[in-house]
Amino acid sequence: MIKITGLEKYYRTEEVETIALNKLTIDVKEGEFVAVMGPSGCGKSTLLNILGLLDDPDGGSFVFNGIEVAGFNERKRADLRKKNIGFVFQSFNLIDELTVFENVELPLIYNNVKATDRKKRVEEVLDNLKIMHRRNHYPQQLSGGQQQRVAVARAVVNNPKLILADEPTGNLDSSNGNEVMQLLTELNEKGTTIVMVTHSEHDARYSHRIIRMLDGHAVTENILI
Amino acid sequence: MIKSYLKIAWRNLWRNKSFSFLNISGLAIGIAAASLIIVWLLNEVSYDRFHTNANRIYNVYNADVHEGKTWCWNTTPKVMAQAIQQDYPEVETVVRVNWPQPLLFTIGDKKLKATGHFVDSGFLKMFSFPLIKGNANTVLNNNYSIVITESLSKKLFGNEEAVGKTFLVDNQDNFTVTGVLKDIPTNTQFDFEYLIPWSYMRTKGWDDEFWGNNSTNTFVQLKKETTLASITPKIKTLRSKYDKESPKMETFLYPISRSYLYGKFDNGKESGGRIETIRLFAIIAIFIILIACINFMNLSTARSEKRAKEVGIRKVVGAEKKSLIGQFLGESILISFIAGVFALIIISISLPYFADLVQKKLSINYSDYRFWLAGVGVILFTGLLAGSYPALYLSGFKPVAVLKGTFKKVNALVTPRKVLVVTQFAFAIILIIGTIIVRQQLLNAQDRQTGYSKDNLVFSFLEGDMEKNYPLIKNELLSNGIATSVTKTSAPITEGWSNTWGFEWQGKDPNDKTVIDRYCADDDICKTAGLQIIKGRDIDLDKYPTDSFAMLLNESAVKHMKFTEPLGQIILDNGKKWHVVGVVKDFILKSPYHPIEPMIIEGAAGWFNVVQLKFNTVKSTRENLAAAETIFKKYNPSYPFEYKFVDEQYAKKFDNEKRTGKLAGLFAFLTIFISCLGLFGLASYMAETRIKEIGVRKVLGASVFSITSMLSKDFLTLVIIART
Repeated sequence: MIKITGLEKYYRTEEVETIALNKLTIDVKEGEFVAVMGPSGCGKSTLLNILGLLDDPDGGSFVFNGIEVAGFNERKRADLRKKNIGFVFQSFNLIDELTVFENVELPLIYNNVKATDRKKRVEEVLDNLKIMHRRNHYPQQLSGGQQQRVAVARAVVNNPKLILADEPTGNLDSSNGNEVMQLLTELNEKGTTIVMVTHSEHDARYSHRIIRMLDGHAVTENILI
Repeated sequence: MIKSYLKIAWRNLWRNKSFSFLNISGLAIGIAAASLIIVWLLNEVSYDRFHTNANRIYNVYNADVHEGKTWCWNTTPKVMAQAIQQDYPEVETVVRVNWPQPLLFTIGDKKLKATGHFVDSGFLKMFSFPLIKGNANTVLNNNYSIVITESLSKKLFGNEEAVGKTFLVDNQDNFTVTGVLKDIPTNTQFDFEYLIPWSYMRTKGWDDEFWGNNSTNTFVQLKKETTLASITPKIKTLRSKYDKESPKMETFLYPISRSYLYGKFDNGKESGGRIETIRLFAIIAIFIILIACINFMNLSTARSEKRAKEVGIRKVVGAEKKSLIGQFLGESILISFIAGVFALIIISISLPYFADLVQKKLSINYSDYRFWLAGVGVILFTGLLAGSYPALYLSGFKPVAVLKGTFKKVNALVTPRKVLVVTQFAFAIILIIGTIIVRQQLLNAQDRQTGYSKDNLVFSFLEGDMEKNYPLIKNELLSNGIATSVTKTSAPITEGWSNTWGFEWQGKDPNDKTVIDRYCADDDICKTAGLQIIKGRDIDLDKYPTDSFAMLLNESAVKHMKFTEPLGQIILDNGKKWHVVGVVKDFILKSPYHPIEPMIIEGAAGWFNVVQLKFNTVKSTRENLAAAETIFKKYNPSYPFEYKFVDEQYAKKFDNEKRTGKLAGLFAFLTIFISCLGLFGLASYMAETRIKEIGVRKVLGASVFSITSMLSKDFLTLVIIART
């Protein structure tokens, strides 16, 4: 599903140039659950941003579903993203002014899904994730675990092929964290490909494979199953 | 999607009440102020454009060259109308309209004065003043028919039918009402309550056929197929055929739809006129809207950090820049719409006061769809303008930066927001400077010495039997100690009604066509008006019976006529010989803004319209007026005693400038007010975002003063930059 070859990314400020990704090459197959680990600044978040089509690589190739996307413009990237990719962030990133229902509905709106279909789909997902009773609450009224459930709901509502999770349990206590990991595992079992960046060895154990990065390279790969 | 946008916009507004209040009130005041100006300007530009044939109606003008300069004016000989009708088949109708004439109307015991015109019978066919009663083709056909307006009809006859009623006009002739007009609108240069046929003037011998007497307004309506360009060269030489005195004087037609706005000529060319005021205030209206929009832009972008996360999330879940721009524009249009509703309330409350200020009858026709269309237009325009920059700015955020928390507000030396604040205050300061200049000019003109004494000086127009009984009236006023001095004059001391280049004196250059003001005063003018005599003496009929032909000159006239010894000089005016008996110090007869022109005052053999009284200060003005009224009523019983104070009349010369000053001041104030609203919002927002910094500083020992000055510094700098 994902084939990255010789990917490069630099960050430049006036004084210094930092290499975030240094000729990185990895593959992710459809249906895989991959964890990316490494110390801070090793390039794992950059990798996730590029995989999520939120950022442009400076060199190398990125083939997504058989299409080279490295040179896509913003409009094309937005289009590909909204149809194929769901995101889960460490800090949940829900819109404070929208209710749970409206937050989850958002990706469907941008995919031009009809209102009646949207309602059905959102309710289905909320039900699955057991937060239906909170549908009319605002994010501030929810606990961290509940907020992350909403974020997961939003990520999956559109049935994306790929879910990118950036330290999804980072802001949660262990029991809420485990619940979220359980959720991701279930999604993966249903066929969704997941790439997760994490610092937690515990969380990484939920995945099929761990890619360890250092200074922009993939240094080792542990295959867990 | 739109529903989701609106929901978010509404929730944002509701959550940030103070921000919304500042934004909406700034925009509402801006829209209201600009709309008031627009309503006023629309009234101004609609002057005389409502006539069905407005594009075919022209005012007849003369153009004449004196001392190399072309002068243009629109008073024509009365007889010119006939010549035009005869000689130019391109012309459909010609109509003369004389000066507004105040006349006394008497019905039984009821006496009242109304102002109107003597007009040719085609007047109501040419101009679209609709009749409620009567037929426009025939109402002015009879010498003694009169057409009155609806409100005059009410005043004269109450709710009774006016048509067919007869009443006495000016104590001379009986007139029969043949038509009632709808009250004339405010957007026309005409202002009348009655119309009397021109043919009546003929029966009274007031019509004349002198080509030298430029004394009436003439209007022509061209035939449909005629163009102005085709008739212009033909009519130019009209006078060469008829006017023996000034055969070279040119005639031209000037569109009536232009005359109110553009009808000011300088050396034969249009030179501004009211259109300048219109342009000025149109610019002010745009300024105000711009300033209100800038407020919006600043406050919206200042809150960008709060919105940044939302932008990031929306982009992550698939929003394109385009749809985000749409969302933010939608929000600004919503705010602009709410502001528009408040603006409408402000407008409907303040319109009467504003109308009073600009001295126009202004009204908004709420049932007119065009008003609502324009309203929606203004709201959309404001919303789009105000939302444009924030929309582009906010939608441009990079989700990666925003969501990872690496997003930092720009703290550059020059940011667009700072530029906008500077622009805003620069506009405000331009308006303040403008206001100060207008005010300064006004003060300078007001401070100027008039050259006569306005105190206790009262005048009244000669009407009815006043002229006949003048000696008796004067005698009683003086002997009863009401007035210390009484003089008959050709015009009030605040106005010059007559001038000519036709005076002759010894040593005059035959090519000298300088216009000299002509004023007439029978006796004691210097005493009555408090003019200062520099040489010689006042006109004094008691002592010098020959003073009927005595003349006074002002200093400028002496200088112009190059007299070394002005006293005893003989000056000819239209064949009459006048001898100079005195020289008076220059005084302001006409505009306090212009230099004083040469002027002569002719004695008792002149012509008179006004009687001026210098009240005795022993008694109070109220007592004097009451006593004077008794005397005037005694000798002129048919007319009410009407008087005017010279000081009030003089003060009226400043009305226009005062009004412009007040308006400019008002809008300058509003501009600053709106700008300050914005600045306040910006400052309080900055304080909010720097709350942590302030906390840290306080913990480290900063005083309240040092924090206040730290927060104020940025904004003061911007205001100061705007000023320089």
